[in-house]
Amino acid sequence: MLAYVVRRLWQFVPTLLGVVLLVFFLFNFVGGDPAYLLAGKISNPAQIENIRRQLGVDQPYAVQLWIFIKQIASGDFGASWSTNERVSEIFATRLGPSLTVLVPLLAISTLLAMAAAMLVAYLRGSLTDRAIMIGCTVGQSISILVYILVFQYVLAYQLGWFPVQGWGVSFAENLLRYSLLAIIVGVAVSLAPDIRLYRSFFLDEINQDYVRTARAKGLSEHRVMWVHVLRNAAIPIVTNILLQLPGLLAGAFLIERFFGIPGIGREVILAVERSDFPIIKAVTIYVAVATMIVNLAADLLYKAIDPRVQLK
Amino acid sequence: MKNRLLFIFLFCAAAHAANGEKILRITFQVAETGFDPVKVHDYYSGTIIEAIFDTLLTYDYLARPAKLVANAAESLPEISADGRTYVFRIRKGIYFADDAAFKGRKRELTALDYAYSFRRFYDPRHRSPYAFLFTGKIIGLDELAEQAKASGSFDYDAPVAGLQTPDRHTLVIRLKQPDLNFSYVLAFPLTGAVAREAVEAYGDESPSHPVGSGPFLLKRYTRSSKIVLAANPGYRGKLWDFAPGDDPRQREIATQMQGKRLPRLDGVEVSIMEETQSRWLAFQRGETDIEYQLWDVAPTYMTDDGKLRPEFVRRGIQLDRTVDPEITYLYFNMQERIGEAANPVGGFSRERIALRRAIAMSYKVDDQIRIIRKGQAVRAEYPVPPGVAGHDPGYRSLIPYDPRAANALLEKFGYRKGPDGYRRQPDGAPLVIRNASTPSERDRQFDELLKRSLDSIGVRLEIQKERFPELLKLEKQCRLMTRMAAWIADYPDGDNFMQLLYGRNINESNNACYRSKEFDRRYEKSRRLADGPERDRLYHEMTRRMEVDTVWLLADSRIRNALQQPHVVGFTKHPVLHAEWLYLDLAPRPGD
Repeated sequence: MLAYVVRRLWQFVPTLLGVVLLVFFLFNFVGGDPAYLLAGKISNPAQIENIRRQLGVDQPYAVQLWIFIKQIASGDFGASWSTNERVSEIFATRLGPSLTVLVPLLAISTLLAMAAAMLVAYLRGSLTDRAIMIGCTVGQSISILVYILVFQYVLAYQLGWFPVQGWGVSFAENLLRYSLLAIIVGVAVSLAPDIRLYRSFFLDEINQDYVRTARAKGLSEHRVMWVHVLRNAAIPIVTNILLQLPGLLAGAFLIERFFGIPGIGREVILAVERSDFPIIKAVTIYVAVATMIVNLAADLLYKAIDPRVQLK
Repeated sequence: MKNRLLFIFLFCAAAHAANGEKILRITFQVAETGFDPVKVHDYYSGTIIEAIFDTLLTYDYLARPAKLVANAAESLPEISADGRTYVFRIRKGIYFADDAAFKGRKRELTALDYAYSFRRFYDPRHRSPYAFLFTGKIIGLDELAEQAKASGSFDYDAPVAGLQTPDRHTLVIRLKQPDLNFSYVLAFPLTGAVAREAVEAYGDESPSHPVGSGPFLLKRYTRSSKIVLAANPGYRGKLWDFAPGDDPRQREIATQMQGKRLPRLDGVEVSIMEETQSRWLAFQRGETDIEYQLWDVAPTYMTDDGKLRPEFVRRGIQLDRTVDPEITYLYFNMQERIGEAANPVGGFSRERIALRRAIAMSYKVDDQIRIIRKGQAVRAEYPVPPGVAGHDPGYRSLIPYDPRAANALLEKFGYRKGPDGYRRQPDGAPLVIRNASTPSERDRQFDELLKRSLDSIGVRLEIQKERFPELLKLEKQCRLMTRMAAWIADYPDGDNFMQLLYGRNINESNNACYRSKEFDRRYEKSRRLADGPERDRLYHEMTRRMEVDTVWLLADSRIRNALQQPHVVGFTKHPVLHAEWLYLDLAPRPGD
């Protein structure tokens, strides 16, 4: 086990290096020169050069790459080029709003999806199963943008149940007043694909020999489903949730933009619009590292849940 | 449980709404970047800065075109006859808002604060995007900036001949060249006074700790999300005292506001809302009080003739329409070559002029206004837009929309169609026009309109897609062939627009890279003149010169439609001021 963990950690290095090179290449050769953006409406070549010097983008590529690597090692990505705010401060202040929406969203959508998936798996082939699956297919094929526009229009504007957007000072106000609609939209968007995926996990388990044996032993259907099937289906479900986590923080930008939530996803989009490389670098490295760690954690979790799993 | 949740909902809602204060709620569609005047270049940050800091001069709220009036200065400056020396007397008894940086003392605004604030634009460390307002103008400061580049630090205490403070309340500015329009620079919001102690106390954090002497102060700030301003309790106050013009709306405002002590508002709450749907729904639900930026949904609330739809009129919503002091224009790169390659639209030969003219004649600006602007723009005929000193509403462009004549022109100058239906250059080489644009949806619409126009005269168009920073870079290096560009006034003077065609501004703001001795000679002469008939005559001649050379096709100026809730009192969009909040009042909202 320890050897496996060490080997996997060692594999982080080339993977991370690949990510670093890719980000560096994309920024320097595709992204455009940020100095021209920061220079304002009227600027002369000397001013542009002054900005390039201050940002360090006039340095040879090898030097810039070395600085980037040192930043990763120290965890200090400097300050935003457009607002001068420390990148660490940006993460610290934007994480709370993102989590205020994403944690309940993930918890509610997972619970609902698991319950619905178990039900349709149990009723496989029935009218209920087919109706829910058709609903999921339709739901999955609708863009998230449509969900946002419709829910915001109907629930916030027409019915007035929620504010259209906003963000306050206290956690309670943000959770109970401003986040609810965003959470509902998020749950609605993720429910369809999750139900379909989890249903397949449950079906895999329902058809196993141990389920037939349990039933033959006379265990109640309740016990078979809730204890045996659920426990075994939970392994791929947990893996799926864990793998979603790293990208979820940075990827919730649409919800954050429409509902005015000052989270990390919104900040990432702003950084891309402003060619704000320190933030882009930090977020990319965060997603890469978090994905690798979560992958490793998922593998170890497999082993913990199912001792038959061999880690090689 | 259900009742408990309901209670929490109601509690939160009540806590939010009913505190009895007059808080104006508005939105920005783009996030701000910070509030240090020398470090920002975006409109939204500038708007907040305008509310927090005091400039020497400002604008009369109702006068159209915009008219300068004194602000922190006692009066308009004394300007020497040669236009080189400006003397300002600063009002006594203006104080900065209380701040920890002042260590408990009241801190008066003095001439030294302006001198310090102007010097900051020259400090290379700040890389100020608006340094151009001052660069090359004040005697001695460019030299100080050069020294700073060499030494690595700017000497704020070095004596400078061009910036002197003979006493605490007198500021003397001496310019290198005569400039009778320099006053406009000193009304620009970013030239407001900062206190040196505050700037030094907050250091790199200065963008989030603005300390000014203006009507509002920053109370709460969540970056890219919410900016809450509170009325500055130490503000000197002003009386609402403006003469209305003939406009009935202005008269109504004057009746409501005349003689009131300002500011009337207790605060301003700005929410950053990037999405149009969110802003539109929030306004309709009464969550915001004024909406300036709803171009995309204008047909939803307005009729074709620019009137508010009856259902909104019945709700008491008010509409204020004003033409932005801006122009959009399709420019042609006038250089003979772009990098190593020949530029088919560049140069001054008759064939090239004919090609540019034909392209300009094929582009239907009315379609741009109707389709892309959804009717919310007016045709621009003159480089100086409405509301800006030097604008001529009677001027008519020499370049009509006439694709038939454009085709005939191209035939006459040897641009013959090949077997593929597209024209070739007079020497038989392929003719391809490359228009640069960003990958945005809006730019795609412009590309399609241009493609349709050029197809109508048999000219092949290619679209060069670049990200915005790269576009700016290529533009400043004269490496774009054509592009639809826009310019909004930094200050309401024609010079701010005419300089876009001045030869010495190539690589800076002259993105067509146009150099004409005739134009430049007149431009240099115009800079020595104040707004008036003589300068207007020069501007006419310069514009005709530009049209004869066909450097730009002037397109449009957008109309800004500001919607207001019924309880907003005294609002009219000023062409130059962005933070009109100082001049507003709020009647009780329904339910207050």
